[in-house]
Amino acid sequence: MTILANVSLLALAGWFITMMAIAGAAGTTEVNYFTPAAAIRGFAITRTAGRYAERLVTHEATFRLLASLRVWFYQHLEPLAPAVLQHYHSGDLLSRIRADIDHLENFYLRILAPIIVAIIACVFFALFLHQYNDILLLVEMSLLFIAGVLVPILINRQAKHSGERLITCKSDLRVTTSDSVQGMGELLIYGAADTQAGKISQLTEDLLQDQEKQASLYGISQAAMLFCANLAMWSMLLLSIPLLKEQQISAANIPMLALFALASFEAIAPLPLALQLLPETLKSAKRIFEIVDKKPLIKEPKTASPKPENFDIEFKQVSFHYDEKQGNVLSSLNFKLPQGNKLAIIGESGAGKTSVMHLLLRLWPITSGEITLGGHSLEHFHSDDSRQYFSVVSQQTLLFNSTIKRNLLLANNNANDDEIEQACRTAQIHDFIISQPQGYDTWIGEAGLKLSGGQSRRIATARALLKNTPILILDEPGEGLDTITEKKMLNAIFDDNPDISILMITHRKIGLERMDKIICLEKLD
Amino acid sequence: MSISDFLKSQKYLTGHYLSLAIGLGLSAGFLLILQAWLLANIINAVIFEKAALDDVYVWLLSMLGVFSLRAILSWAAEIIAFKAAAEIKRNLRQTLHQHILSLGPIATDGERSGELINTLIDGVEALEGYYARYLPTMSLVVLIPLSILIFVFPIDWISGLVLLVTAPLIPFFMILIGKGTERLNKKQWREMARMSAHFLDMIQGLSTLKIFNASQREIETIRRISTEYRQSTMSVLRVAFLSSLVLEFLASVSIAIVAVLVGFRLLYGEIDFFYGFFALLLAPEFYLPLRNMGTHYHARLEAIGAAEKMLDILAKPIPAHALANNDKSLIATNKPINIQFDQVSYAYDNRGIALQPLKLSIPAGSRTALVGKSGAGKTTIIRLLAGFISPTSGEIKINDHNLNQLKLEDWRKHIAWVPQNPYLFHGSIRENIALGMPEASEEKIRTAAKLAHIDQYIQNLPEAYNTLIGERGQGLSGGQIQRIALARAFLKDAPIILLDEATANLDAESEQLIQQSLDQLGQNKTLIMIAHRLKTVEKADQILVMDKGQVTQTGTHKELLEEPGLYSDISHDIYQSSL
Repeated sequence: MTILANVSLLALAGWFITMMAIAGAAGTTEVNYFTPAAAIRGFAITRTAGRYAERLVTHEATFRLLASLRVWFYQHLEPLAPAVLQHYHSGDLLSRIRADIDHLENFYLRILAPIIVAIIACVFFALFLHQYNDILLLVEMSLLFIAGVLVPILINRQAKHSGERLITCKSDLRVTTSDSVQGMGELLIYGAADTQAGKISQLTEDLLQDQEKQASLYGISQAAMLFCANLAMWSMLLLSIPLLKEQQISAANIPMLALFALASFEAIAPLPLALQLLPETLKSAKRIFEIVDKKPLIKEPKTASPKPENFDIEFKQVSFHYDEKQGNVLSSLNFKLPQGNKLAIIGESGAGKTSVMHLLLRLWPITSGEITLGGHSLEHFHSDDSRQYFSVVSQQTLLFNSTIKRNLLLANNNANDDEIEQACRTAQIHDFIISQPQGYDTWIGEAGLKLSGGQSRRIATARALLKNTPILILDEPGEGLDTITEKKMLNAIFDDNPDISILMITHRKIGLERMDKIICLEKLD
Repeated sequence: MSISDFLKSQKYLTGHYLSLAIGLGLSAGFLLILQAWLLANIINAVIFEKAALDDVYVWLLSMLGVFSLRAILSWAAEIIAFKAAAEIKRNLRQTLHQHILSLGPIATDGERSGELINTLIDGVEALEGYYARYLPTMSLVVLIPLSILIFVFPIDWISGLVLLVTAPLIPFFMILIGKGTERLNKKQWREMARMSAHFLDMIQGLSTLKIFNASQREIETIRRISTEYRQSTMSVLRVAFLSSLVLEFLASVSIAIVAVLVGFRLLYGEIDFFYGFFALLLAPEFYLPLRNMGTHYHARLEAIGAAEKMLDILAKPIPAHALANNDKSLIATNKPINIQFDQVSYAYDNRGIALQPLKLSIPAGSRTALVGKSGAGKTTIIRLLAGFISPTSGEIKINDHNLNQLKLEDWRKHIAWVPQNPYLFHGSIRENIALGMPEASEEKIRTAAKLAHIDQYIQNLPEAYNTLIGERGQGLSGGQIQRIALARAFLKDAPIILLDEATANLDAESEQLIQQSLDQLGQNKTLIMIAHRLKTVEKADQILVMDKGQVTQTGTHKELLEEPGLYSDISHDIYQSSL
């Protein structure tokens, strides 16, 4: 429906443009004082009104299109997280989804539309001049071509480099600024604030330099436009004065032709800008497609996901590396976690504990071996389908800038208040939440209440519990918690959920006594 | 200060560029009048005096000269206007960045970083139109029509009168329309900042959204936010388009009146063709600056929208202690530094008291451990020492100097700090360890990394120390990030080390290795750390047990174990917790 609406809007816009061009062509005869001036002005007014409507319609259509582009970009972005996206800075991705997509706005509004208008207008100009004299026609068209196409293309070639650099530069600036804002503490303590300020001012200088080059080039093409328009008027005079002597045209036509030539350049005035924006826009499009065309590392099966009868998990000869060059993180790992059992994975940091979780959640593809869920290979499931059986508390789960409640509901949109409270009690965070003036509606995150590491970890735990899945993965659940709270929380989780499988990754003793099995991983060399 | 006052107050930064741009515009205006006069002359001569091409050659040639000059002026004006705006952009971005850093990480805590970044980048860029276009146009909008009137009045007062009467109508309608748009524009800018902030949040939380299969809901949110953004943008544009419609309409009607009046008088032979034609040629040019104003008025609105957030940021006062500017360094290097807390308390603006009045002495070279539940006020003590916040009451004394009076930059040279979640910057591992010490030798960097037990891991990476790390250390484990941050602290070799759960992500064995490194670093380092595990705490010279912003117990491990209280309660558990 949206697409259909967009298409018809665009079609409507096209019609407006055409009407506008016709009115414009007629309007350019404006200051011929022998024709009733008011009538000509009438054309101009019609054209102004038409332009108003046209701008409204095209902008509306474009912004609708941009909104769907954002959704489309997100849909391609999500499967790439985190395995492919780890190489991109979020500031860089932000500039792609926001600024680069905004740049595409140019494509229709400032590139395509002006070109179409200019072409249609020029056809009318040619027909008009043809009535008088073909030499006039030739001169006018050549000058229009020089000012509207030739000069901009030459300038464009000059501007290509700086235009592309401009976007990269802005993106670098965004990355550096985001470092400044988010790593402010480190910058200040380590005396790097001045260096950082220097970096930002250097990037600003680079940016300004490119912008100045662009401004200068744009200035040249504007000046060329002005000069050609005047030259066209001048040529009309030069050519038509002898024609008057030969009685080929009437006296009144001389000022009319001169002013017509001058005014006709209005139709091609936006062309230099259009051609100047083109490389910038293409670069933006390229940056967007660079992401969209990336293949996710996880291959989704073509067939429907199997329905597991139980939730036994088995690792069979599983090996895994994040990067071939860095060597295996897991090598021929075997273990079983029967449904309802509790399993702990311990080991020194870097031993691959967290990688076990990454593989189960299918955030990264397995290198060799097989993981089964209820007897079916995990790879036969769509990753969305297999993930619905797992809930996770990990170092990577993030709380969003929103209210506590909305963060919790992310796990289960249908949870009622009782369920939410129960999950938070288990996670030992309910008392803290209700001690806040706004309780569960307290905003957390950058713009709201700052939570300590332990507080966020407990909210994340409550969120995972709320998802209510047959398998629960706890990755360092006690991080940032004092021992007493950690113990209480783990006991409550075990007591409340006797039937679910729990996989706990930890480097502490707490909770291990309640485990059915403990696996110790060693770091591979 | 209102936003438009703020924008005006920045004008001085443009230096002479702005006046120069206006001068160029005005000269171009005069050339235009000259060109109209030449054209009227030529047409008049050809039509009414039957002049041939040869007769008007001089005029035609001078016209070519005028064309060239106008082209050059127009190019120069473009560059000069850009330079004016460039000065502003350069200065303002620097000022904002400086101000944000002076405010420190805690004061800017209430801001969403996406919004701050947006202000520093796009916000500053959005001011270009105001300084490069709007301001020069505002001067020309008076000067050029005035010059034209001076020429038109003597030769055709009726046309002059029409121009004079209709001209004020345009600004009048503009203001009428512009009234509501400021609000709309601010709203649009806020929507945009909100959209930015949301997208940043979303991108950083993609893994979480994925784990919870929440993408469908996120798509709805993106759609909704984009729609709101579109609606607010369109509401601004509708007004902008409407105002240009009104402008064009008024200008068209006015020119038509001039044309009709001239036409009739010509018909009745009341004026000369030359004068009538000259007036008619100038009429559109008379309205041109006014019409430009309509276009550039939008630039002003955009600037106002963008400047709102800047003003917000700059209006936040820099805390007095960050401004202390003692040229003379009060802390001699190599001299032991003793720290005293003299009834220091602290309350966050929005959260009430975080630290009750505290008396505390930290002698040079001692080890102090802070233990207690999360939210007990331990981090507040570290933040006070780092100078991110200053005491609400009481004084922190550094060798008997009030910390508030020390130059922060100077004080911070003496401290190293490793927070709970260290930040790794976009760049290589080397650059991250050598933060603030770009001249550090390879050897020193490696020594620091060895102390942090991360050297071997780094060496095994294909690019070793030149490996680029993703944002916030993506691709590295929590423990690895902390070790890199520790290496950073070790490299700095400061006499005071603040560790805010700096080893929380390490396993017991690695943590013990780090403890050994701290011992190795030397006895003369003052160590202040927040810790959960007993092993880290045992050796401390003093342990502060904190609860609800208060220090409930102080003493050494031994002393505290014998004392009934929170410490002996938790120590039992702490023993169990280490693996």
